[in-house]
Amino acid sequence: MPSITAVNLAHLHLLLNHVPTVGSVVAVGVLLLGLLRRNEGLKHAALEALFAIAVVTLPVYLSGIAAQQLLREQPGISEDAMRLHHDVALAGFTVMEFAGFVAWVALWQSRRRARAAPGLVAAVTLLSVMALALMARAATLGGEIRHPEIRSELSAGAAEGAGEPQRFLTTRIGMYMVDSPWAWPAAEAVHFLGFSLSFGVLLAVNLRILGVMRQVAFADVHRLLPWGMLGFGVNLVTGMLFFIGQPRQYIDSAPFYWKVVFLMIAGANFLYLTVFKKGWADRLESSLPDKAMAVTSLFAWLAVLYAGRMLPFIGHAF
Amino acid sequence: LGNMAYSVSAVVVVVLVIVAVVGYLVDRSG
Repeated sequence: MPSITAVNLAHLHLLLNHVPTVGSVVAVGVLLLGLLRRNEGLKHAALEALFAIAVVTLPVYLSGIAAQQLLREQPGISEDAMRLHHDVALAGFTVMEFAGFVAWVALWQSRRRARAAPGLVAAVTLLSVMALALMARAATLGGEIRHPEIRSELSAGAAEGAGEPQRFLTTRIGMYMVDSPWAWPAAEAVHFLGFSLSFGVLLAVNLRILGVMRQVAFADVHRLLPWGMLGFGVNLVTGMLFFIGQPRQYIDSAPFYWKVVFLMIAGANFLYLTVFKKGWADRLESSLPDKAMAVTSLFAWLAVLYAGRMLPFIGHAF
Repeated sequence: LGNMAYSVSAVVVVVLVIVAVVGYLVDRSG
């Protein structure tokens, strides 16, 4: 029986799925405007928006799988249409996360140079246009699940193939995660290392803001952030593999909700830590808002750790 | 179990090497 939470997640998917498409149209537009006008402020705003969109794309994707689990039990819904939508959505999600990562690196660099590297801005532009194209296709295919009247011949043909779910990449990934004896434990090991990397770096950076290690300039601690971001990226990939493999053990699990909510907060904090102005020049004391941000960040990461660890106990993951 | 342990270790090592290389490149770029 579908749970209340799964119903809400399906609704959440319908609400949030506009962010990656509409949001990246606006962000790419602002980025192009910044390039045309040679305006660093506009470029920065676009890069920050793209990073934020990449963060929000995570719950869009997760809630999509929840919606799929729910719709599966309803009549008149094509399983293949959903699997095709899922495949394209995964491609769009992946490119979107790459765009967000490169946008973040450009922001991190420009903190020191006052100007985003042209090569990175070009890469972000290219990646976000690709992500937008894939997201637009995913959005169309998603709409067709409930609206067969708009289904084109092209997608009807592509979605054919009842009885062979292995034709879809996401289905193959999910089956491999569950059937392979080593894939799940390997992803768990890597997930733990990624968390250690991410939390270790953010602990150092946030403690510095709170006044520990005052003799170290904040600009030096700031150099550690890419390592934390890489740990975050590793965990995004491995976490997605778990979710694609066994969505049912997460979508109606309370600690999983909390984990995703606190991940969003932690993502916003990461952006703040990368670009914030105050405290950067001051070697001694951070402002009160910066300290509040640092405490929030540490709390959010501890909450992510706790909720993740409790998935098998409060929730029902293995 | 032996094969599984090798596969898991191999994946962990490969991921750590990738992280080290990307981290080094990003760090040097800034």
